[in-house]
Amino acid sequence: MALSGIQIFKLTPKKNCKECGLPTCMAFSMKVASGAKDISECPHMSEDALAQLSEATAPPMKTIKVGAGESEHSLGGETVLYRHEKTFVSKTLYAAKICSCMDDAEIDAALAAVPVVDYERIGERMYTEMIYVNEKPGTDPAKYAEIAKKAAAVRPVILGCKEEAAAKAALDAIADTKPVLNGADASNYEAMSKLAADAGVVLGVSGASVEELYDTVAALEKLGNKNLILDVTMDSIKATFEAAVLVRRTALKDGDRTFGYPSIVNVAALADDAVMQQALVSLFTVKYGSIVVIDKMDYATALPLYGLRQNLFTDPQKPMKVQPGIYPINGADENSVCITTVDFALTYFLVSGELERSGVPCNLLISDAGGLSVLTAWAAGKLSSTSIANFIASEVEGKVKNRTLIIPGKVAVLKGDLESKLPGWKIVIAPLEAVQLVKFLKDLQASGEI
Amino acid sequence: MTLFDVIFAGNDAVYGLTEGAINDAIAKYGADKAVSFPGTAYSIPCYYAVTGTKITTLGEMKDALAVIKTLMGREQELNDALFSGVATALLAELIEVLKYVDNENPYEAPCAGHLPDPAIRELGVPLVTGDIPGVAVIIGGAPTAEEGAALVKEYQAQGILVTLVGEIINQCVEQNVKMGAAMRVIPLGMDITSVIHVVSVAVRAALIFGNVTPGDAAGLMKYTAERVPAFVNAFSPLNEVIVSAGAGAIALGFPVLTNEDTFAVPMNLIPNVPVEKMNAASLEARNIKIKISKIDIPVSFGSAFEGEIVRRGDMQVEFDGSRVDCVELVQMKEPGEVEDHKIEVIGPDIDEMPVGSKQQIAYVVEVAGKNMQADFEPVFERKFHSYMNCIEGLMHTGQRDMIRIRVSKEAFEAGFRAKHIGEVLYAQIKNEFGSVVDKCQVKIYTNGEECTKIRHEIANPMFIKRDERLASLTDEAVDVYYSCIMCQAFSPSHVCIVTPERLGLCGAVSWFDAKATHNLDPAGPCQVVTKEKLIDERIGEYEDVNEAVRKFSQGALEDVSLYSIMEKPMTSCGCFECICGIEPFSNGVCIANREYAGMTPLGMSFPDMASMTGGGVQTPGFMGHGKHFIASKKFMKAEGGVARIVWMPKDLKEQVAANLNKTAQDLYGIENFVDMIADETVTTDPEELVGWLTEKGHPALEMEPMM
Amino acid sequence: MPFNRKLQKFSASINEVEIGTGDKAVKIGGQNVLPFYSFDGNIGNGAKVGIEISDLGVEGMPACIQACYEGCTSFADIAKKAASFEGVDFLALSLEGGDPNGLNKPTDELIAIVKEVADATDLPLVVEGAKNAEKDSELLAKVAEVLAGKNVLVMSAKEENYKAIGASAGLAYGQKVGAESAVDINLAKQLNVVMTQLGVNANSIVMNTGSASVGYGFDYTLSTFDRVRAAALGQDDKMLQMPIVTPVASETWGVKESTAAEADAPEGWGPVEARGISMEVQTAVACLASGSDAVILAHPVSVSTVAKLVKELV
Repeated sequence: MALSGIQIFKLTPKKNCKECGLPTCMAFSMKVASGAKDISECPHMSEDALAQLSEATAPPMKTIKVGAGESEHSLGGETVLYRHEKTFVSKTLYAAKICSCMDDAEIDAALAAVPVVDYERIGERMYTEMIYVNEKPGTDPAKYAEIAKKAAAVRPVILGCKEEAAAKAALDAIADTKPVLNGADASNYEAMSKLAADAGVVLGVSGASVEELYDTVAALEKLGNKNLILDVTMDSIKATFEAAVLVRRTALKDGDRTFGYPSIVNVAALADDAVMQQALVSLFTVKYGSIVVIDKMDYATALPLYGLRQNLFTDPQKPMKVQPGIYPINGADENSVCITTVDFALTYFLVSGELERSGVPCNLLISDAGGLSVLTAWAAGKLSSTSIANFIASEVEGKVKNRTLIIPGKVAVLKGDLESKLPGWKIVIAPLEAVQLVKFLKDLQASGEI
Repeated sequence: MTLFDVIFAGNDAVYGLTEGAINDAIAKYGADKAVSFPGTAYSIPCYYAVTGTKITTLGEMKDALAVIKTLMGREQELNDALFSGVATALLAELIEVLKYVDNENPYEAPCAGHLPDPAIRELGVPLVTGDIPGVAVIIGGAPTAEEGAALVKEYQAQGILVTLVGEIINQCVEQNVKMGAAMRVIPLGMDITSVIHVVSVAVRAALIFGNVTPGDAAGLMKYTAERVPAFVNAFSPLNEVIVSAGAGAIALGFPVLTNEDTFAVPMNLIPNVPVEKMNAASLEARNIKIKISKIDIPVSFGSAFEGEIVRRGDMQVEFDGSRVDCVELVQMKEPGEVEDHKIEVIGPDIDEMPVGSKQQIAYVVEVAGKNMQADFEPVFERKFHSYMNCIEGLMHTGQRDMIRIRVSKEAFEAGFRAKHIGEVLYAQIKNEFGSVVDKCQVKIYTNGEECTKIRHEIANPMFIKRDERLASLTDEAVDVYYSCIMCQAFSPSHVCIVTPERLGLCGAVSWFDAKATHNLDPAGPCQVVTKEKLIDERIGEYEDVNEAVRKFSQGALEDVSLYSIMEKPMTSCGCFECICGIEPFSNGVCIANREYAGMTPLGMSFPDMASMTGGGVQTPGFMGHGKHFIASKKFMKAEGGVARIVWMPKDLKEQVAANLNKTAQDLYGIENFVDMIADETVTTDPEELVGWLTEKGHPALEMEPMM
Repeated sequence: MPFNRKLQKFSASINEVEIGTGDKAVKIGGQNVLPFYSFDGNIGNGAKVGIEISDLGVEGMPACIQACYEGCTSFADIAKKAASFEGVDFLALSLEGGDPNGLNKPTDELIAIVKEVADATDLPLVVEGAKNAEKDSELLAKVAEVLAGKNVLVMSAKEENYKAIGASAGLAYGQKVGAESAVDINLAKQLNVVMTQLGVNANSIVMNTGSASVGYGFDYTLSTFDRVRAAALGQDDKMLQMPIVTPVASETWGVKESTAAEADAPEGWGPVEARGISMEVQTAVACLASGSDAVILAHPVSVSTVAKLVKELV
C-alpha cells in the first residue's frame, strides 16, 4: 500500500525546481513517503501521476481541522496503532463540558474555570483546548446559540446537539470559529450534514452500535461529506472502548477508510464520578480518542493527563529534552554544590527526583547533550569535558559561587580533563545509579565535603 | 585385576554386607518394622530418586535388594561398572538407614550423618546461584593432618562446601578446623557408607530444584552432572569399596581425584595428584570457577578513578611506549601451559626504578579455557585500558605497543608494585570473561632486553597476524553471521546483521565483537545467524538471515539483503555513523556522516536523511552504515559497489581515503578513486555535481541506472 | 457494504499464574487478546488490583493515606484494614525499609513483619524487595522460605540476583517469582530466559517490565508493554508470555504532583490528595490498557476506582 520515496520520485518531474519548498525532487519524494508532505504540493506533477499517487499516498485516516485562526487544531492523520511503530501525529485534545441544562451562573462559572489550567511542561503548552456545549433536548434555539457564543469566546466549541433548529441557531452564531457540530446519527444525518456543510464545519457522527455508526458514515460519504469526526461514545464503558478501538483499528490495520476519521469520546456521559472520569480519560487517551470530553479540567486531572499525553505523542526516536540551564533544588542558592547531568528528560526527572528526596540544596546543571542518556551522549561526543566546561564557564561561573561539581559516575573518566579545563573547581564522582544519590549526598553533607 | 574387577569386587562386598545387615535387622525387629531417615519427604532419597519407589519397612528393603541386584551387571564394560557403582551407593544408603532404626541420632558431634530437607533447601539455593561454587567430598586421611586441614581450609576460603568422611575428620579436629554447616565444612561420618549423605544432598537437590521425577534415573544423572558441581578427593590407601563407591560418584558426573597411584580414567578418575595440587586439580576437573570478590591490591579500584590524571610531578614512574619498548598482550594457551592466578614479575620492581624515570614494561596475559578462542584475544585486550584506569593512582593510555602508564607517588607509597597490575588483570579477566577463561596467568616483564624481545618478536607479529586476519576475512570465509539488537530500546524493530565485511551500522560492533559478545553472553543481544540457505547471491539474501530478522524484529521485518540499498535494504536504527542515499541525477549515492552538519546534493542534511531512514524501517535508496563499511567490497555490491559513491563530506573522505582507494583499485583498477568523489567544497547542488563528475570521468555516470 | 467486523485473533496466549491459596486465590493472565479487547476473544482472568503496604507501617504512607488506616497499631491491623477496602484482589507488602541506602532494617526484623502480615490475611500476598539487589537476594530468599505453602509472589528478581530469588522462591519453596527488568523488551526476555534456564517453571514467573508515573518517561514503559504483548501474542514468543504485574504506587506517590503540599504547590493545584489519587489512577489505567495484568496501588479510592473500571471492561 505505502509507496517508497523512490517509487514516488520516479513519478515526479525530476526538475529540482524547489517550488514545493524543498531543494530536490528526491527530498520531496522522501517527505511524501513519510507522510510529512502531500503530493499535491508539487505544482508540476502530471495528471496521470497525481491520480496514480494520490490514491496510494492518501493517508488511511484523514486529518481534520477544527477551530479557527490561532485556535485551529488538527485531528487524526494517524498511520499506526502503536507509538513504537512511528510517531503519533495529532495529540488527543480535551474538552470541558457545559450544558444548556445548567443555569447561567453555573455556565459562567464553568467557562471561567476553563482557562485556569494553563501551564508549560517541557516546552509544550498544556491547557483545555475545547469546550463541549451540550444541548438538552428542547432548549430554546436562541438560548443555545447564546451559550454557544459565550463558550466560543473562550475556546473552540463542539456543539453536542441533535436538534436541527438549535444546531442551526448555534452555527449561525459561531460558524466563523469553526466549531464541530456533533449531532448526526442514523435518524438525522442528511439534515445535519447539510447544516454542517453550509456552515463549513466538521460534522460529528454517532450511532447506537459500531455497525450503525459505520452505515451512517458510509451514507454521509455518499452525500459527499467527508469532513467528519466519529463520536464513538456508546451506552456503556465497555461498548465505548470497543467502538474506539474498532474504529481506529479498522481504518489503520484493515485499511477501511470509512472509519478513517478522528474520534470523540464523551467520558462525561459515561461516568459522573470525578475519579472515574480521570480513569476513563487516561484509558481513552491511550486507546484512540482524538477528543475526550470531561465535565471539568482541574489541575488534579490535568497534571497526570498532560504528562501521559506528552509521553504518548513523543517521537519514539527523539527523546524528550529539557532546557539547558541551572535548576536550583531544595532551595539551593549560589553557595550550593553543583551537580550535572544530561538534558535527556528521563534522566533529568530521575536525577532531580532523587536530589529532591535527599533534601540537600544543590544546583542541577543541565547542558545540551543532544537529549541523550549519559553513556550514549558520552559515546556520541555530546557530553564531554569540553561541553561541560564550556557550559560552566559561560553559564554557571557568573551565577554560582560554589566550586564543587559532582559529575555522573558513568563518566568518571572525564574527571581529569575537567580538572584541567575548569581550574578552581573540585570534581567529585557521583555513584553509577541515580537511586544511590540520596545516600551519597547525605554522606557528603555529613562529612562536611559539601 | 582390571579397574572393572575392583569395582565389581567392592560392589559384591557391600552387597553381602547389606544383605546380612537387613537380615539381622529383620530377625531383630520383624519385616514390618518402619524405616526412614528423619526430616525428609523423599523416603530413602537416593533409592527413591533412582527407582521411583518409596521404602517404608525392613521387608521392603529386602525387595529393594533384588532391584539393586539388577543394576549389578558383570560385563567388562563401562556401563556395568558405572551402574555397579550406583548400586554400591544405594546399598550404602540402606546400611545407613538401618542406623536410624529406633535411633533418632545415631551420629554424634561433630558428625552429621543424614541431612534433613530444610538443610538441603538452605544449601541448595547458594548451590544453584553459584554462591557455593562447588562441593568437595573428602574421603580417608591425608598423608599428614596438616596437609588434610590445609586442603579443607583452601576449599573453605573459596566458598566451596566441604564434606568429610573417615580419618580426615580426626585430622581436622586435631588441627582445630572450625566445622559445621555455617562454616561450610560438614563431617558426615567415619564409615565409608556415610558418604551417601552427601550424595543424598545432590539427589534431593535434583528433585527439589531440578524438578526431576523420581524414577527418572537418566534425568537425575543429567541433573547432577550438569548442575551439582561436586567432586571427590579420596586419599590413599583406597580399597575396593571406596573405588566401587567412586564409580557411583562418576556415574553422577562427579570426578574422583586421588593421591594414590592407581587406574586412570581421563576426566573422571585422576590418580597421582599430590595433596598440595588437589585443590587446583579438582577445580579444573569439575570446571569450577571461583569469583574474585576483592582484588588484592593496596589501593582502591573502581570506575570512579577512571578519569584520574597522574601529572608529571606526582608520578613515581612512567612506562612510556613512545620512547622505550612497552606492550600489552593477551595470548591463548593450552590448559597445561597455564597455572591459574600465577603472577610473575620478570625484571626490577617499581621500587628499584628511579623516581620520575621512564621505564619499559611488557605484560602478557596468558589464558586457557575449553571455550576460549583466539578471536577473543583482542576483545580482552581492548578492556585493559579501562581495567588499568580503574586503579587508584594509575593512568593508562593507548593500546598494544603504544601504551603509556603512570604510577603516582601516592599509589607507590601505599605499596603498589608491578605484580598488582597482574592482580588486577587476572581478577578482571576472570570475572568478566569467566565463561570462556578457565585459567589465567600474568607475566610482567620490566627489563629492557625482555621487553624488546616480547614487543618485536612476539607481540608485533601477533598484531600483524590479527590485522591481516581481520582485513582478509570475507563474508564467504565464515560459516555464520551474528545478529545484534543492542539498540532496540530506541529502535524497536531494528536488527543488524553483522558480517565480517559489514560491521554494525553504529560502527562499534564488528563480526569479532558480535562473536565474542555471543560467546560471553549466550542469551544476550548477539545471536548466531546461519547462512546456509542462499536465495540470491547478487543482493546477498539468505532464507536463514530472513528468518533471524523476522524473529528478532518480532515480525516487523520480513526480509533483508546484505549488499543492496535498493532491494530489501537492511534497516537503520538511530545510531548509524553514516547514511548513504541515492542521488538520481548522477546515478550514484551520496554519503553523509553524523558529524557533518551541512547540506548534501540530495537536498537533505544528515538529520533530514536520518529522520526518514531511522526507526528500523526499510527505506529503499537509503541506508545507515558504519564508516568502515564504505571501503568494503560488499558496500552496495548489488548496485555495482563503491563506484557508485559520488559525494561525501571532505572530512569523511579523508578518513576513508586510503582504504577506499585500495578497494576501488582492487575492484575496478581505478587509481585514486577518492579524487573523483565530490564534497561540500566542490558543490552541494545536484546539477553542478553531475557537471563536476563528468569532468572527472566518474564511473557511476556510465553504470546501469539504479532505478 | 455493511461493516465487516474483523477480529484480531491470536493463537498464542498469556500464561495463567495463580497467586495465593484457597477461595481468595487470584489468577492473572490467560487471555489471548490485547488488554480489555473482549470483542476479539478470550480475555482470561481480567486485570487484578492489589493494595500496597510496607514495613514502614502507617507512618511510611503519604499523609492522605494514613487517614484511611486510622487506629491501626500493628502490621496485622494494617494488613486487615488494607484487605478490607473495596476492590482489593491481593495484598502487596513492600520491604523498602530494608534498603541499605535507607533505613537498612535487618532481615530478621523484616521477616517478622512478613510473617505477621501473612498470618493476618487470607488474601494472596505479593512481597516486594528493598530496592537493593544484594539485600534482596538474602531477604527475599528468606521471605520465600518463611511463607512456604502460601503460594505468594516474590517480586524484585533482577538480573543481578535472579539466581538467589529464583532458586529459593521458584525452586526450593514453590512460590511465584516476579522478574524485574529495566524498561526494555529484550532485557525482559533475557531475564525470563535465564530464569527458566535456572529451572524455574515458565508458569511460575510474572514480569515487572518497568514502571513509571505518567509524564515521567512513561513512553518507554508503555511501548515496552505494547511490544511485549505484540511479541507474546503475535509472535508466540514463549519467553514473553508471562503476565505482567506493575507496581504503580511506589512510582506515583513519589513525584511532585503527588507530594507537594497545597501551600507549597503552584497556584491552582488544589489539595494534594486529589492530585495523588489522579496520578495513581491515570498511571494504573494507562498500564492496564497497554499490557499490565495487575497493578499495585496504595490509596483505597484509587483501588476501588480502578477495580470498578476493570469490572466495567471485562
